[in-house]
Amino acid sequence: MNYLDLSAEAFLLVPLATIIIYNICPKKLSEKYFYVFAAAVAIIQIIASVSMFYLMNVLHMREHNFIFLKVLGKSGMGSLCITYFSPVFLFCIGLVSFASVMIAMHTIDAKKTHYVNLLMTLITGMNGMILVKDLFSLYVFLEIVGLSSFVMIAMFQSKKGLEGSVKYLVMSEFASIFILTALALIFMQTGSLSYDAVGSFLLDGAASSQKMMIYFSVILLISAFAIKTGAVPFHSWLPDAHQSADTAISVLLSGIVIKIAGVYSLIVLTRLFSGIEAVHVTLATIGILSIVTGALLAAKQNHFKRIIAYSSVSQMGYILLGLSTGTTLGLIGSVAHVFSHAVFKTTLFTNAGALHEHFESLDINEMGGLQSRMPVTAFSSIIAFLSTAGIPPFTGFWSKLLIVMALWTSGNPVMAGAALTASIFTSAYFLRLQKKVFFGPLPDRLSEVKEVTGSIKFIEILLTAVTITVGVLFPMILVYLQNAGTI
Amino acid sequence: MEILDLKIIMLIAGLMMIVAGCYCIIRTYHMVKIIIGIEVAMKAVTMFIIMGGYMNGHMGLAQSYVVTAIVIEVIVAVVLAGVTMNLYKKYGNMDIRNLIQLKG
Amino acid sequence: METIIFISLLFLLVFCIMAVMSHSLLKSAIYLGFASATLGIIMYVLGAKWAAVIEVSVCSGLVTVIFISAISLSSMKKDQIQRHYNDKKRMAYLPITLIVAGVILVVVALTTDFTVTGSAVGIAEDFREVLWNERQIDVLGQIVAILVGGIAVDVLFRSGQFK
Repeated sequence: MNYLDLSAEAFLLVPLATIIIYNICPKKLSEKYFYVFAAAVAIIQIIASVSMFYLMNVLHMREHNFIFLKVLGKSGMGSLCITYFSPVFLFCIGLVSFASVMIAMHTIDAKKTHYVNLLMTLITGMNGMILVKDLFSLYVFLEIVGLSSFVMIAMFQSKKGLEGSVKYLVMSEFASIFILTALALIFMQTGSLSYDAVGSFLLDGAASSQKMMIYFSVILLISAFAIKTGAVPFHSWLPDAHQSADTAISVLLSGIVIKIAGVYSLIVLTRLFSGIEAVHVTLATIGILSIVTGALLAAKQNHFKRIIAYSSVSQMGYILLGLSTGTTLGLIGSVAHVFSHAVFKTTLFTNAGALHEHFESLDINEMGGLQSRMPVTAFSSIIAFLSTAGIPPFTGFWSKLLIVMALWTSGNPVMAGAALTASIFTSAYFLRLQKKVFFGPLPDRLSEVKEVTGSIKFIEILLTAVTITVGVLFPMILVYLQNAGTI
Repeated sequence: MEILDLKIIMLIAGLMMIVAGCYCIIRTYHMVKIIIGIEVAMKAVTMFIIMGGYMNGHMGLAQSYVVTAIVIEVIVAVVLAGVTMNLYKKYGNMDIRNLIQLKG
Repeated sequence: METIIFISLLFLLVFCIMAVMSHSLLKSAIYLGFASATLGIIMYVLGAKWAAVIEVSVCSGLVTVIFISAISLSSMKKDQIQRHYNDKKRMAYLPITLIVAGVILVVVALTTDFTVTGSAVGIAEDFREVLWNERQIDVLGQIVAILVGGIAVDVLFRSGQFK
C-alpha cells in the first residue's frame, strides 16, 4: 500500500473509526477530552488532503481511483475516486472542522459526546460526497450531511434551534424529492447512475431523442442543489438555520456544509451536463440574483450572525457565476473561492463566537467601539471583511479575480461587469457592520468587555494568518497553474 | 402513440402524487401532516425507481436503490418526529405557526 | 398484469389524496398504510419482490410512529383540531390542482415522444448480489445514516437538561 492509497483511505476510515473508539472510551474521559478526538480527526484530514494534493501534483495525476478497504475483499467497500480539485474541498472540511472544535471548547457545555458523534458523521458524509463516483451514492451521502446538520441545529432543544431545524428540514425534503425524481428519470434512460454511464449517455446521440426528459431532470437537479446551496430564490432557510444554531455549529454550516452539499453537487452536475447550454444560463442567473439579493438583505439586518449568513448567500452567487462559465478556469476560480470563503466566513463566525461571550443577543446596535477592547477580534474581522470585499492582496481578491477573468474570457463581459459592480454592495453592508461593532467611541457600559482568550483567540489568529499568507503567495499558485497548463 | 401506455400512465400518476405531497407540505400547519406529505411524495419516487428498473431491465439495481432510499426516508421521518416532539414540549401543540421567532 | 397495475395505481392515487386531505391524523396514517400496501402490490407485480416486502414492513413501522405521536401528544379534542388547523379547507384546492396538473401532464405526454432506449429484456440480476457486490458504498451510507438516526433519537427524544 502506497502513501497515495493511505491518504485516500484515511478520509472515510478515520472518522468512522473515531466514532467507534470514542464511544468505547469511558464516559468521564470522553466528556473531558472530547476536543482531543475531534481535533485529531480534523488534523489528520488536513494532513491527508495536503499530502494528497502534493502527491497528485508530483505524479501529474488528474484523478486517482482507489478501492475503499481493499483488505475486506476484491471489491472492498466500493470503488472511489479523487479528482484534481477534490483535495481543496477535503482541506476546507478539515480546516473548518478544526475551527468548529476550537470554538466548541468555549461554547458547548452540555452534550459534548453528541457533538463529537455528529461531527464525525458529518465529516464522513461530506468526505463521502467528494469521493463517490455515482449519482445515487452522492444522494445518500448528501442525506447523511443533511441529517447530521438538522440534528446539530436542534441539538440544544432551544425554541430558536428547533425552528431553524424545521425550516432547513422542510426545504431539504423538497430537495430530496426533486433529486430522487430526477435520478429515477435518468435511471430509466441509462440503466445506471455512475458518472461515467450518465456522462457517456449524454454525449451519445441517444440523449437528443429524450431532450424533454433530460431538461426536466436537469431543472429538478438544479433547483434541488440550489436549495442546498441556499441560493436565491431558495435562500429563506439559510439565515434562520445558521443564526439559530450554536456558534460552533454555525461555523460548520456556513463554512463548509453549504459548499459541499450545494456547490460540489453543482460542480458534478455541470461536469456531467456540460453539453446543455441552459445549465450555464440558469446558473449565471441564479448567481447574479444571489449576489445582489443576499447583499441587499444583509444590509438590513441587525443580528451579527444573520448578516454574515446573508453574506454567505451573496458569496455563493460568485461561486455559481464561476461555475456558469463551464470552463476549467471558471471551475478553478470557483474552487478557489470555496477555499477563501471557507476561511473568511469561518473567521467571521469565530468573531461572532467571541462577541457572544459578552453580548447574548448579538444585536449590533448594542455594540460599538470594541476595537480598543477586543483588538484581536477587531483585526481578524477587518482582514476577513477585506478578503470578502475582494481587496488585494487577500485570498478573496484572487479568487474573485479568477471568476471575473473566467467570465470575461468565456465571452460574458456583461456578467463580469455585474460581478465587479456587485462587490460594492458587499463593501456597503460590511462597512456598516464594522462601523457599528468595532469603530466609533466606546460606550461606558462596554468598558468592562475583555478580549476573548484561549482557543477562540488562537483560531482567529490562525485563520487570519491563513488569509494573509495564502493571499500573498497566490501569484505563485497562479504561475504554477499556468505552467500546469490549466489557465 | 397510444395514450394508454403503461409507463406514461405511471409517470403521470406518480407526478400527481408528488404534486399532492408538495401541496400538503406547503399548505398544512400541522407538523405530523408534513411528515405525511413527505411520505406521499416519497412513495411516488419509490415507484419511479422500480418502474425504471422494470423498463431497462436492471431490476436488482433498482431494488437496491429503493432499499437505500427507504432507509433514509425512515430516518428523516424519525428526525422530524423528534423535532416535532420537542416543539410539542415547548408550545403545547404541533402548529408551525408558532415558528415566528426568527425573522428579518 | 397491466389491469392489476392500473387498478392499483388508481387506488394508490386515491389513498394518497385521502391521506393528504383528511383532517384526522389517525385517518391520514391509515390511508398512508393502505397506500403503502398498494404500492407494495405494484412493486410485486413489476417484479421487485424484495423491495415490496421492505416497503410494506417499513411503512407499517412508520405508521405506528405517527400513530403513537398523534395519540400520545394530542390534548385537543377532534373538533378543536378541525377548527385549529382547518386542514380540510386549506386542502380544498388540491383536487383542482391535481386535475389541472393531470391535464397538463397528459397534454405534454401526447405532444412529446417518450421512449426508453435501454432493452426491456430482464437481465437476471439478484437484488442481494447487486446490493452487496456493487453498491457497498450505499450500504456504508445506510449504516452511517442509521447511526445518525440513533444519535438523533438519543438527542431529541430524551427529555434531559436543557442548555
